[in-house]
Amino acid sequence: MSLATPVRFSTLPCKDKAAIAIITGLAVFVRLYKIWQPSSVVFDEVHFGGFASKYIKGAYFMDVHPPLAKLLITLTGWLSGFDGQFDFKDIGKDYVTAGVPYVAMRLLPGLLGVMVIPLCFLTLKAYGCSRLSASIGALFILFDNALATQSRFILLDSPLIFFTALTAYAWVNFQNQTAFTRHWYWYLFLTGLSLGATVSVKWVGLFTIAWVGVGTLIGLWDLLGDLSVTPGQYAKHFFLRAVFLILVPVLFYLGMFAIHFICLVNPGDGDGFMSSEFQNSLNNKGMADTPANVAVGSHITLRHLNTQGGYLHSHDHLYPGGSQQQQITLYPHKDSNNVWLIENVTESEIDYRETGPRYLKDGDWIRLQHVVTSRRLHSHDIRPSVTEADWQNEASCYGYEGFGGDANDNFRVEIVESKTKPGKAREQVRAIETKFRLIHQMTGCALFSHKVKLPSWGFEQQEVTCAKQGTLPNSIWYIEHNEHPLLDASEDKVNYPKISFWQKFSELQKVMWDTNNGLVASHTWDSRPESWPWLRRGINFWVKDHRQIYLLGNFFTWWLTSLAIVVYSVFVFIVVLRWQRGYKDYYAPAVKDYSWKVGSNVVGWALHYFPFFLMQRQLFLHHYLPALYFAVLAFVVGFDIFCKTVLKRRLLVVVVSSVLVLGSISVYVTMSPLIYGEKWTKDECNRLKVLPHWDFDCNAFYADKSMYENGNSGKSRLEEAIEKASERLSASNSEELHKASETHAGEEEEYVQVYEEHDEL
Amino acid sequence: MSSTGVNGSSTQPRLRKGRADAAPNKQVEEVKVHNFAEEEDITIEAVEKVIAPIFFTVLAFLTRMYKIGVSDIVTWDEAHFGKFGSHYLKREFYFDVHPPLGKMLVGLSGFLCGYNGSFEFKSGDHYPPEVNYTFMRVFNATFGALCVPVAYFTAKSLKFSTAATWLVTLMVLCENSYATISRFILLDSMLMLFTFTTFLGLAKFHTYRTKPFTIGWWFWMLFTGFNIGCVTSVKWVGMLTTALVGIYTIQELWEKFGDLKMPFATYMKHWAARIICLIIVPMAIYMLSFKLHFMILENSGPGDAQMSSLFQANLKNSPLTKGPLDVAFGSKVTVKNMGYGGGLLHSHVQTYPEGSEQQQVTCYHHKDTNNDWVFVPVRTDAPYDHEGEIRYVKSGDKVRLIHDMTGRNLHSHNIAAPMTKNEWEVSCYGNDTVGDDKDNWIVEVVKDTHRDKKVHTLTSTLRFRNEPLGCYLRAANVALPQWGFKQIEVACAPDTVVWDRFTHWNIEQHTNDRLPPAEATSYRSPFLRDFVHLNVAMMTSNNALVPDPDKRDDLASRPWQWPVLNVGLRMCGWGNDTVKYYLLGNPIVVWSSTASLGIFALLTFIYICRWKRQYRDMTREQFEYYVYSGLYPALGWALHYFPFILMARVTYVHHYLPALYFAIMTFGFLFDYITSRVFGKLTYILRPVSYVFAYAAVVGVFWLFSPISFGLTGDHEDYSYLNWLSTWTI
Repeated sequence: MSLATPVRFSTLPCKDKAAIAIITGLAVFVRLYKIWQPSSVVFDEVHFGGFASKYIKGAYFMDVHPPLAKLLITLTGWLSGFDGQFDFKDIGKDYVTAGVPYVAMRLLPGLLGVMVIPLCFLTLKAYGCSRLSASIGALFILFDNALATQSRFILLDSPLIFFTALTAYAWVNFQNQTAFTRHWYWYLFLTGLSLGATVSVKWVGLFTIAWVGVGTLIGLWDLLGDLSVTPGQYAKHFFLRAVFLILVPVLFYLGMFAIHFICLVNPGDGDGFMSSEFQNSLNNKGMADTPANVAVGSHITLRHLNTQGGYLHSHDHLYPGGSQQQQITLYPHKDSNNVWLIENVTESEIDYRETGPRYLKDGDWIRLQHVVTSRRLHSHDIRPSVTEADWQNEASCYGYEGFGGDANDNFRVEIVESKTKPGKAREQVRAIETKFRLIHQMTGCALFSHKVKLPSWGFEQQEVTCAKQGTLPNSIWYIEHNEHPLLDASEDKVNYPKISFWQKFSELQKVMWDTNNGLVASHTWDSRPESWPWLRRGINFWVKDHRQIYLLGNFFTWWLTSLAIVVYSVFVFIVVLRWQRGYKDYYAPAVKDYSWKVGSNVVGWALHYFPFFLMQRQLFLHHYLPALYFAVLAFVVGFDIFCKTVLKRRLLVVVVSSVLVLGSISVYVTMSPLIYGEKWTKDECNRLKVLPHWDFDCNAFYADKSMYENGNSGKSRLEEAIEKASERLSASNSEELHKASETHAGEEEEYVQVYEEHDEL
Repeated sequence: MSSTGVNGSSTQPRLRKGRADAAPNKQVEEVKVHNFAEEEDITIEAVEKVIAPIFFTVLAFLTRMYKIGVSDIVTWDEAHFGKFGSHYLKREFYFDVHPPLGKMLVGLSGFLCGYNGSFEFKSGDHYPPEVNYTFMRVFNATFGALCVPVAYFTAKSLKFSTAATWLVTLMVLCENSYATISRFILLDSMLMLFTFTTFLGLAKFHTYRTKPFTIGWWFWMLFTGFNIGCVTSVKWVGMLTTALVGIYTIQELWEKFGDLKMPFATYMKHWAARIICLIIVPMAIYMLSFKLHFMILENSGPGDAQMSSLFQANLKNSPLTKGPLDVAFGSKVTVKNMGYGGGLLHSHVQTYPEGSEQQQVTCYHHKDTNNDWVFVPVRTDAPYDHEGEIRYVKSGDKVRLIHDMTGRNLHSHNIAAPMTKNEWEVSCYGNDTVGDDKDNWIVEVVKDTHRDKKVHTLTSTLRFRNEPLGCYLRAANVALPQWGFKQIEVACAPDTVVWDRFTHWNIEQHTNDRLPPAEATSYRSPFLRDFVHLNVAMMTSNNALVPDPDKRDDLASRPWQWPVLNVGLRMCGWGNDTVKYYLLGNPIVVWSSTASLGIFALLTFIYICRWKRQYRDMTREQFEYYVYSGLYPALGWALHYFPFILMARVTYVHHYLPALYFAIMTFGFLFDYITSRVFGKLTYILRPVSYVFAYAAVVGVFWLFSPISFGLTGDHEDYSYLNWLSTWTI
C-alpha cells in the first residue's frame, strides 16, 4: 500500500493547523462540559476510583486490568491532594461532602478523550485524506455520544482509546517513511511505545498488537519481493522491527508492573488471590521463622498448596448432611482453630517426652488432632455434602476428649518429591519445604481441596474432601507453622523463600487471566458482541435526582460506519471474483487504494471485534469502542476516495460532507442529556427511543423541565418509588469482581464472628 | 502494507533465468533415466501391481487377526459399543453421542453370529459362551485389515514411486496402534477405513482432473461422496475428512472459475455434479443411517429421555400415555421445556430466599404431582364451568396456569431472576381469586403437525407470553443453588427470538375426563423433526463431555502428547493373569512422521520465500506433484489434528489415528522427495539402501512391540524393556 506523503504536525499547511485548532477547541467543550456533574460516584468509578485510593494507601489489590491507566488516575488524584480516604463503595455516593478531588481525576480521561480528536485528524491526513474528510472523521469521533460519555468519568476506556489512536497514528506514519531515516526510527519507536502503553491499560491492547503484527508481516512480505533489498538489509529490517515492536512493548509492560509492585507494599483485600510466598513479601504480612523439623507431638498449621483457600480448619459446627460430623474446611486467616497436633499411630503409647523427638518421615502413619475441639481428622465412605461425586469421600472431624480414635483417623504421609526442595526435605517432613499428600488408610483417598465454597452453613469457607481420583496439585499440603515442646530456639528454622520480581509478575499474570475468565455470571447491562455494531442496547451508568446517564453511541455514526464495513466486504468479494475472471480492476489506483487503505482499517476493526465472540466472560457495549475508532477511520478513508473519484465536484462534496456532519451533530445534540445528566422531559425522552431495546428509563425524568426548579416538592410517591427502583438497578452495575470483593468483605465479618465464638470455647 | 515490493515486481520482472532453468533440466534428465528403467522392468511393474497388494492384504489380515480371541474379557470401549450393538438386537431405543452406522454394523456382526443381545458388556467381565465375541472381533478387524491395501492404492494414486508406496503401506501395516485398535469391537477400525477410502477417492478423482465427465471421473467422485457419507455416519470426526475434500473442491472450482475458455454451462455442470455427489449423496447416506436407526429401535429403552415427548410417546412400551389430543380449559397437564435437557415445569411450597420471596417455580426432570398444572381462563373472562360447554385452548388465547398442588398462579414481575439477572423472576402467587393481570399468559403455537389453531397434546410447540410484561417463559438449563435443590431456573425473558428452543414448551401428559381419547394416528412424529432433534441432542451432549478439572483421569491425554508419543493407553486391567493390551503407536512410525511434518513445513516455507525472491525452482508438473501429493496429505493431518486442540471435551490417544495416516503419507512423500535429490551422483545406490533401512526399521520395531498388540501375557514386569520413555506404562 502506498500512502500519501509523510504527515507531521509541523509541516502541515496553515489551514490544516487551523482546522485542528478549531476542532480541538470544540472537543474541549464537548468532552469537558460540566465534567463536575454528577458529583457522585458513577458506574465503574466504583472500581477505578477505589483502586486509586488503594494505590495511595499502598494496600495490595487485585484487578483484571494491567496498571498503567490506574496509575495515571492515581497520579492526578495524588497531585490534586487526594489522600485515599474515600472508598468509592457505591454508585451514587457523594464526592463533594467527602472532599474528593474527583474533577481533577476525571480530567485525565477527559483530556485524553480530547487528544484523540487531533490524532484522528492527523491519522486520516496520513492516509492521504483531504482536509475536509479528515475533519469529518475527527468530528465523528468528537460527536460520538458513547465516546463522550465514556471519557467523562474515572474509567479506563478513554486512556485505552487514546493509546490505540496513538498507535494507529504512529504506525500509519511509520509506513510512510523512507527506511532507516530519523523519522522512520522515531515512528517505529513511537509505535512500539504506544503498543506497550495500550496493552498496559487493558489486555484488549493485544488486539492492537495483532493489528500492527499483521501489518508488519505484510510489510516484510512485500519487502522480501523487493529484489533491491539485499539479505543484509532485510535482516536489519527484520531485526529492528523485532526490537521496537516486540522488545519495547514488553519492557514497557514489565516496567508498569514494577511500578505497581513498588506502590503496593502493604497487605490489602487482594491478598487472598496470591500465593503464600507472595503474601509473605508484603509488609506486616511476613511471618516469623518456624522450626524446620516436624516431629510427632508438633503443633502445626497445614496449608493447601494449589489454592489460596488457606489453612486446614475445623470448628464446632456440624455438616448438615452426610455424616453430620464436625466440619473440615479451608480458612484463609490465622486462627487457633487451624492448629493440629500430630499423633503417631503405630507407637501411640510411647511418650515422646521421654524418648526424645521422633521426626516425621515419608510413609509414616499419623493422626491429626484438632487442638481446640480434641476431635481428629477423619474420613469415611460417605459423599461430601457439596461435591457429591462418587470418587469423593467426606472429610470430617470426629471423636471426643479421651477417645483414642479409630482406623478411619489414620493418614499416611507421602512426600511429593517433584514439588519438594531437594535434600533433606525429601526424606523427612520439614515445615514449608516439604510438600506432601495425606493418604487415608482405609479408603486410599487423598486429602483434597478445590475452589468450591461451602454454603452459608459452612461460612462460605472452602470445601475439603478426601478424593480417590483427585488431581495431584489439589492433593498437596505443607506445614506452615510448627511448634514442639522439645525443639528449642537453637533448632534450624525456615521461612518462605524470597520471591523475585519475575515470580511475582508471572504469578499475577496467571491470576489476572484466571480471574478474567471467571467473570462469567450474567449482568443486568451486559451484551453480546453481535449486538454492538447496530447499537442494540446501551448501559445505564447512573440515575439520581431525575437525571440519568446512559451509555449509548451516536446511532448515525455507528450505523454509517457499520454499513461502510459491509460495503467494503461486498466490494472486495466482487473484485476478487472479477480478478479470477481476468478483469484488471486493480490497475485502477482508486480501487487499489480503497482495497488497501480501507482494508487496513477494516482489519483493525475486525481484530478489535471478532475475538470478543470467543470470550465467555461478561461483555459490555464499551468493549466495542476501539473497534468503532477503526470503523470510523475505514468509513472516512473510503468516503475520501469516493469524493475524489465519483463525486469530484467541489460543491457536491461539500454538500454531502455537510449532511454527514449535521447528521452526526443533530443526533449528538438531541441525545446529549443522557451524556451530561442534564434536565430532560419524559416526552422528549420517549420520542428518542429509536430502537425498542434502548432501555434508558424515561420515567426517571419529570414531565416538565420547570419541575427541576421546584425541586423535590414536585415528586409524586410513584416517582419516588420509580427512583428507588432505578437506583437499585444501577447499584447492581458493578462488575462481578466488585461483588466478589464485597462478599469477601462480608466473609471477613463472618470469620470474625466465628473467631469470637471460638474464643469462648 | 508497504508496497515497494509490489511495485518493483510488476514494473521490472527480473526473473533469474539462469538459476531457474538449471533445476528443471536436471529433473528432465532424471525423469528420462527413470523412464528407461520403467521400460526395461515393464513386466516387473505389471507383476508388482498385482502381487504387492495381495501380499500386503494377506499380511494385514494376519497381523490384525493373529490371536484375536485370546482375551475373553470385555476390553476398553467394547463396554460401550458392544452394548449399543446389543440394543439393536433387542431393538430398544438408546442414546449415544456418535451417529449410528458403526454401531449398527456392530449389531449386524452380532446378528450374523446368532447373538441375542442379552449380554450386558460390563467392562472387565468375561464373555459368556453364547456370545461369539471372536466372530464379532473378526468382523471389526476386517475393516482394519482392509486399511492396508487402501493405503497401497492411495499411495499409487498420489504418484509415489513403487519404493515409497511400499514404505507407506508397510508403515500402515506395521503401525501397532492400528493393529491393536482393530482387534476389538470398536468404531475406530470402521472410522479409519472410511477415512482412508475417502482420501483414496479424492486421490483417484484427482487423476481424472483433466478428463471431466468421463466414467472414471463420475465413479471416483461418487465413490468419494459415498465414503464421506459413511465416515460421518460412524463418527463426527469424519467431518474433518469432509473438510479436506471440501477444500480440494473449492480450490478446483475456483481454478475453473478463472478458466475463461470454459463455457458457463459447463461450469454450472461442474457445480451441479459436485453438489450431487459430494453433498446430496453423503447427506442421504447419513440420513438413511438415522432412518434405519429409528426403524430398528422401536421399543422404549434407556435413551428415551433425550428425545421429544412426541417421539417417546410413539415408542412401544413407553411410560408416556397418550392423553386426549385437544387441550381445553380445565385440563390438567404437565408442561415440558423443549430445549435440550429441558425438564417439566415445576413448583413447590418453598419460596425464593431473595427477590420477591414468593413460591419457587423451576424445571425438574423427576416426575411427581408437583408438575401438574391446570388451564384456567383469566379473571376477566367467564370462569371455568365444569358443566358448561367445552372451551378449547387456541393459539393467542389468554390463560392462567394454576399449580395443582398449591393452587397458586404462574406469575411474573419486574424483579430480576435469581441467576439470569437480565430476565424477570417467575414465581407462583395468589390463588384463584387473589392475583393480578401478571398471572395472565398468552399461549402462542409456534409449530404443529395439526393445522387447526388449537393447542394439542405432544404435537404443539408452545410459547407462553406474559400479558402485561410481554416476556416469554424460558428455562435455559441454569441450575439454582442449594435453596432451589439445584433444579433448573425458570425465568421470563423480555427479549427473545421465536426460534429460541428454551422458550418452547409442549404438553406432555394430559388428563381431562370430558374429552375423548386421541385417535391412534394423531401423534405421528415426522422423521425430519426427530432427526434434527437427535442430532442437536448429540451435539449438546458431546460438548458436555468436558473433563472435571479436579479429577485425575489416567486414560485421557492432551493433543500435544500424541505426535511426540509420550503417552499410551492401558486398554484393560493390568493384573498378571489377564491378557493385557496397550494402545501405543509404532515409535519409529509416529516420530518419523511427526518429524516429516516439521521438515515439510520448513521446506514449504523456504520454497515460498524463494518464490517471492523470484527463484523458479519447480516446473508446473513438479509444483502440482508437490501440492497434491505432499501438501494435501499435510493439510489432511492439520485438519485432523488441530481441531482437537480447540475442543473442550475430553480427548484420548486414539483420536490421533486418522491424523497419523496423513502424517504417514507426508512422510512417504518427503522421504521419496529427499532421497531422490540429496545424494547427487550416488542416488542409484544410496536411495535403495535408505529404503531398505527404512523398511527394516519399521518392521523391526513393530516386531519388537508386537506383544502390546497381540496381548501381553504373564507378569507385566517382563515387558518393562519396552518402556522406552518414562511416561509409558507397559
